[in-house]
Amino acid sequence: MAATSGIIGRGTVVRGNLSGSGDVVVEGRLEGTVALEDRLTVESGGKVIADVQLENLIVHGEMGGDVVAAERVVISSTAKVVGDIKAPRVVIEDGARFSGSIEMDVKLPEGI
Amino acid sequence: MTVATTDGTTIIGESILISGSLNGDEDLTVRGRVEGTLTLTKTLVVEPTGIVKAEVQVKNCVIAGVVVGNVTATESVEITKEGRMVGDIAAPRVIIVDGASFRGRIDMGEVDVESGAAPRRAAAAPARPAFRPAARPAAKPEAKKAEEKAAATAPKVPAPPAPVAMGAVKRKVIVKRR
Amino acid sequence: MAAMEKVSTPRSGAHTVIGSSIVIDGEISGDEDLVIQGTVKGKIDLKESLYVESSGVIEADIETANVEVSGQVTGNIAASDKVELKADCKVVGDIRAPRILIADGAVFKGNVDMDVKEAKGK
Repeated sequence: MAATSGIIGRGTVVRGNLSGSGDVVVEGRLEGTVALEDRLTVESGGKVIADVQLENLIVHGEMGGDVVAAERVVISSTAKVVGDIKAPRVVIEDGARFSGSIEMDVKLPEGI
Repeated sequence: MTVATTDGTTIIGESILISGSLNGDEDLTVRGRVEGTLTLTKTLVVEPTGIVKAEVQVKNCVIAGVVVGNVTATESVEITKEGRMVGDIAAPRVIIVDGASFRGRIDMGEVDVESGAAPRRAAAAPARPAFRPAARPAAKPEAKKAEEKAAATAPKVPAPPAPVAMGAVKRKVIVKRR
Repeated sequence: MAAMEKVSTPRSGAHTVIGSSIVIDGEISGDEDLVIQGTVKGKIDLKESLYVESSGVIEADIETANVEVSGQVTGNIAASDKVELKADCKVVGDIRAPRILIADGAVFKGNVDMDVKEAKGK
């Protein structure tokens, strides 16, 4: 687990390009683009309106934008996400609201 | 799944292939192969050996096998760890378990995330380029002027975001050029 | 989540059961026993036994090893082993099988061909 290198607190709004290593937690609002080497966590009051590229994404709050994750995306039961997701693993919990496309690697048996 | 038949649960065995349209008012468990269209008023369970290559319309759907085709469910769709699906899902509840494979669109109805899937339109927002804590209203007019200056003198804003508040560039706190 | 155990088979060793509210319009093929309580239109091609129960309605040509009909069949039946029409069934179509049993009360209309050329030492 990488160290938390950034927290965008509840009353804070960030606009621009966010990049770097370490985990970032958003409790406020983030708009723009995100390129992280580790994890982005959007807490339940948080909102991210951005195209994101990262290793791991966990959304408890709101997210609008396209996601490319190297490892996994988790859309939890309180989350609302709109956008296209590309990742090897995606988890959608019961209660989550999602609209968009998901692209994982799907191994189908022959002849399909 | 418990004992079938006596209560009219249909099971399609592993070696069975059904090709055509299947309609029913009962639960259906697929361990074999169904191709064509599948319409049920109840629950479809595709077991790990099951392959459904069809347009599916059901109440509930649990996918632990392979589904290729679009699934419309009036209640829920769940893709389990062994499940693999290629196609679009339209259902009010969708659950994808860690380890599942899926490729396609998911439509749960109205999902409202402010500014939706078009983050670039955020430009119009009453930009208080409040960065770290100090977000004071007094800063606003200054920020605007600074913004214009920055925009004019700093053409070093390449592709990434569109006309989103470039005032941020000035602050230089955590924003790094890639 | 659905339990994925192998279900111990319900009727007469069959693993596949088409329930009474199911309507299939198409082809069914397979290597195992099949019990039909619903409606099938099209074609059935099995390597094992077909059981058409009393609620079953079949409008299809059937090709299997064994057939046991208690319901309705409209179509030709070809079995490599045996065809049994039980009481209260209704079959319209030609039957071709080395062994045929028609119970008292069964309703049948069609030709019967017992394919004598395969009879053992007769």
